[in-house]
Amino acid sequence: MTGIAAEYMLEVREVTHTYAASRRWRRPAKQDNVLSGVSLHIEEGTCLGLLGSSGAGKSTLGRVILGLEPPRAGQVLIQGQDLYKLSPQARRTIRRDLQVVFQDCYSAVNPRMTAEQIIGEPLSNYESLSVQEQKRAVGELLECVGLSAEDMQKQPYQFSGGQLQRINIARAIALKPKLIVLDEAVSSLDMINGAKILRLLGELRAAFGLSYLFITHDIKAACMISDALAVMDQGKIVEYNDSKEQFLQSSHPAVRGLLDSMLAEHPRNRHRELPGLSDLSGDSAQ
Amino acid sequence: MEQAEYVLQVKDLKVSVETAAGYLTLIEDVNLELKPGRVLGLVGGSGSGKTVTSLALLQMLDRQTSVIEGSIRLHTRELNGLPEKDMRRLRGSSLALIMQNPMTAFSPVYTIGVQFVESIRTHVKLGKKEARACAIRSLADVNLPDPAALLGKYPYELSGGMLQRVMLALTLCLKPSVIIADEPTTALDVTNQLQVLRQLDRMRQEHGTAILLISHDLGVIAELADEVAVMQHGRIVETADVFELFDHPRHEYTRELLAARPLLQLSPQLGGQL
Repeated sequence: MTGIAAEYMLEVREVTHTYAASRRWRRPAKQDNVLSGVSLHIEEGTCLGLLGSSGAGKSTLGRVILGLEPPRAGQVLIQGQDLYKLSPQARRTIRRDLQVVFQDCYSAVNPRMTAEQIIGEPLSNYESLSVQEQKRAVGELLECVGLSAEDMQKQPYQFSGGQLQRINIARAIALKPKLIVLDEAVSSLDMINGAKILRLLGELRAAFGLSYLFITHDIKAACMISDALAVMDQGKIVEYNDSKEQFLQSSHPAVRGLLDSMLAEHPRNRHRELPGLSDLSGDSAQ
Repeated sequence: MEQAEYVLQVKDLKVSVETAAGYLTLIEDVNLELKPGRVLGLVGGSGSGKTVTSLALLQMLDRQTSVIEGSIRLHTRELNGLPEKDMRRLRGSSLALIMQNPMTAFSPVYTIGVQFVESIRTHVKLGKKEARACAIRSLADVNLPDPAALLGKYPYELSGGMLQRVMLALTLCLKPSVIIADEPTTALDVTNQLQVLRQLDRMRQEHGTAILLISHDLGVIAELADEVAVMQHGRIVETADVFELFDHPRHEYTRELLAARPLLQLSPQLGGQL
């Protein structure tokens, strides 16, 4: 993973992060590394699929990359600039290039705002547009994600999950960012809507040259959209591969665990036995 | 009581709710048949009426505002219109529900053990110690480590996958003849998903439990179901054997669902056109 840092859209170098467990009654304070020595990079216009079972640290890494949580150690470089060493001004500028779409589309929006206000918020934060200009921009964004400009006055409860996720995506692309962190962005949707959102993400990427960090535990969805795949287990990247063929051959237990427990595509391929029962039963509380 | 061929037989189920603009029909013409030891998959997109169906079967919809028509027969007993008092006795012991989100299914202020023992003793005449022993046995049965210690823990101390297995263990304890599993694995990650599905499989093999498996994920259906009913806009549009459905889908909506399945493909087909 050597190379000129500026080449990469995003480079994460040896990031280590810890959540301090508060010292509570009768419980010793313990510190587990949520992330330990994580390094990865995303080239411009590509998508990295970040896989792992729950509690592996995927979402924490996403938050660190977005600048929401300063890591204990290590660097996050956005096009060669260290995100956590920038002046507040410069950080504000760089933050518009980083956007996020979360899994739960309902809790990601203010229920009392209209679609226009939701999508317009980043625009009014960063751009100085007139009211008409902003309205037109929001209309265009809505059409971009497959909704119509007439949906502008609707509130979140009037949309289905799939539609609302489109609004979240419209908000994420409003400022023409460079990197979008998709944290389980399709996991809560049903299959038809999930497939539609994946297709939309693919189209937007081609249209705007976006880079994605696609965080998921669904290998199939990750394979559909990603150029490279990484697997996290207990705060470490245990597999990192540009080639999906090689990835599928990986022998690391965490990768095999994910691959072996993939649900069947057809009833004839269903699992006869539980893979690695012993390691599964030991999973601890979060 | 004569042994009916079907454990649960649903005929012409129709559910409507009262709204400001009159009655709105949510599901209509729903016919389902569950045999002992068999798994019927109920699949459909969000908003197609899957959960309304499961709640109607359990008579858990608000009786003031909703109207359930048609017949729901558990063995030979008609459930539709049964008083709440009798229904409460049946829920859990004969007709159990496993919900999507195990986090909200338990009370956060009591330990697993208290809730477990209470549920058992509501339905079965057992002393506290016996109920506790039963709980430990069935927790061990779903491969949870150290069941005795687990009973002293609170729900928030367990991961989602573990809680869902606790829920399965509780269901197992009461040996219901029908389990309605409403998206039992949606909130779990892949490794736990398979784990829960295999547990359900064991339950039907060992106890002959009939399972109504509700899911939007055809992978889950492919793993466990014997027959599949496809639901769209509150109606069942196709019922078929699981192999038949995957190989020769008849209804257009079924084909659409099958086409939307993510398949493991090596070349990125989305956005790869860069």
